Amino acid sequence: MERLFPSTQLSLLEAVSGPRTLPNEALERVAALYWKPVYRFVRLKFGHDHIQAEDLTQGFFASALERDFFRRFDPKRASFRTYLRMAVENFAANQHSAERRAKRGGGMQLENTDVGGESPEDMFEREWRRQIFALGVDDLRAHCDSAGKTIQWQVFEAYDLADGERCSYADLARRHGIAETTVTNYLAWARRMLRGFVEARLRGVTAGEAELRRELRALWS
Amino acid sequence: MELSDLAVNHLRQVTDLPDLSGTRYELEHEIGRGGMGTVYAARDVDLDRRVALKVLDGKLFEEPRLMARLEHPSIVPVYERGVLPDGRVFYAMKLVSGMRFDRFIENSPPLSERLRVIQCIGEALRFAHAQNLLHRDLKPQNVMVGEFGEVYVMDWGIEAVAGTPGFRAPEGAVDARSDVYALGALLDFAVGREEGTAPLSAVAAKARFKDPEHRYQTTSDLLADVARFQDGLAVQAYPESTWEVLWRHARRNAVLLWLLGAYVAARFLVFFLHGR
Repeated sequence: MERLFPSTQLSLLEAVSGPRTLPNEALERVAALYWKPVYRFVRLKFGHDHIQAEDLTQGFFASALERDFFRRFDPKRASFRTYLRMAVENFAANQHSAERRAKRGGGMQLENTDVGGESPEDMFEREWRRQIFALGVDDLRAHCDSAGKTIQWQVFEAYDLADGERCSYADLARRHGIAETTVTNYLAWARRMLRGFVEARLRGVTAGEAELRRELRALWS
Repeated sequence: MELSDLAVNHLRQVTDLPDLSGTRYELEHEIGRGGMGTVYAARDVDLDRRVALKVLDGKLFEEPRLMARLEHPSIVPVYERGVLPDGRVFYAMKLVSGMRFDRFIENSPPLSERLRVIQCIGEALRFAHAQNLLHRDLKPQNVMVGEFGEVYVMDWGIEAVAGTPGFRAPEGAVDARSDVYALGALLDFAVGREEGTAPLSAVAAKARFKDPEHRYQTTSDLLADVARFQDGLAVQAYPESTWEVLWRHARRNAVLLWLLGAYVAARFLVFFLHGR
């Protein structure tokens, strides 16, 4: 297997156990994966518009750094994903409550949150899955670009990222002037690499092997 | 890159399917998902037989090795361990045909048969505990009853898993007594509220005490109490009333009592005939 994945990067726990503040690189990892799920979660949960949700999401990540949020994470009690979602919920509820008090003199009432039968929590999970794969695909593309694997990327993009009807392997083979078995091999390679990149991304936001495996299970179950 | 739900679901599917090229196996279909990985039905092309392939999440090299150590009639044997091109570890096992324990119970087999299965499950646990291994997630879905009556305890947890509500000890999977708790829950599930099974319900309840100190301390203790019930003896977990003691003795010695009754009846008949 190709050794391309940053498996030696610090896990979250290792990252926060060092210097007083979370290294920027570790925070970037967390924000890259969770910014969109958090944004969509607060939009749905609290009925915010785009600007409010964006401000609140930005505020959460800024506040999380100030409040030593990452250091208080205990992997024995919950996954980092669950811990972060609950922290977002508390943070947003407090903000929401404060805003309402300022406007109306108190009282907090959450919006009607379920949309199309999907709860904000379910949406958060769905967006988390989407984002982790989106980041993995970005990594794969960057790798293909740097390694000169243009056809491999094009085959993968045309087949595995298609939103509508997929073209056949024979079509792809004709289009790129390669054998059908080569299409099969390219796709197998790209999928294997994608899984590796996804795993590496998850490794960067989990606190060790056991949590990583639980997250892998959650992602593919 | 922004991905649609359709694309995400497709990617999840294709990146999860094991790439078995370069191995002796051909994938057939998924059987189920456990705490540590996914189990597939596959064909061993070399030996022309069907096997179960468990593909583990991540690089759990130790699990197949530990599983292979558990050589017991009620534990599925491991044939081989391997590594997929993406680094995931898999191992091939005997493909068990039969039905899950919950389906088996739905078919209402006799109590004696249900207790035989419980004894087999307990024997497998006892063996594993002797090897310092816990199951950690014992539940009806993890037990198979084969077509010849063989029993297999499956999906052994090599590391801490959440367990299943109803079968998970309140303290989590800490030691053998957590498995004793789950075995008690299985016994309760198997026996239900059938008439004449109050002692078994008491055994199941004792196995599921909140405080592990008050449970059976070993699987052997629990199995011994179940065996006492099967032999018509008093079980430790259930204090009997006098009537229950008499009734149990009467049932246990039913043949003797019938013979005694027949003898007394014959003596009466002889006495009656001679008297006339």
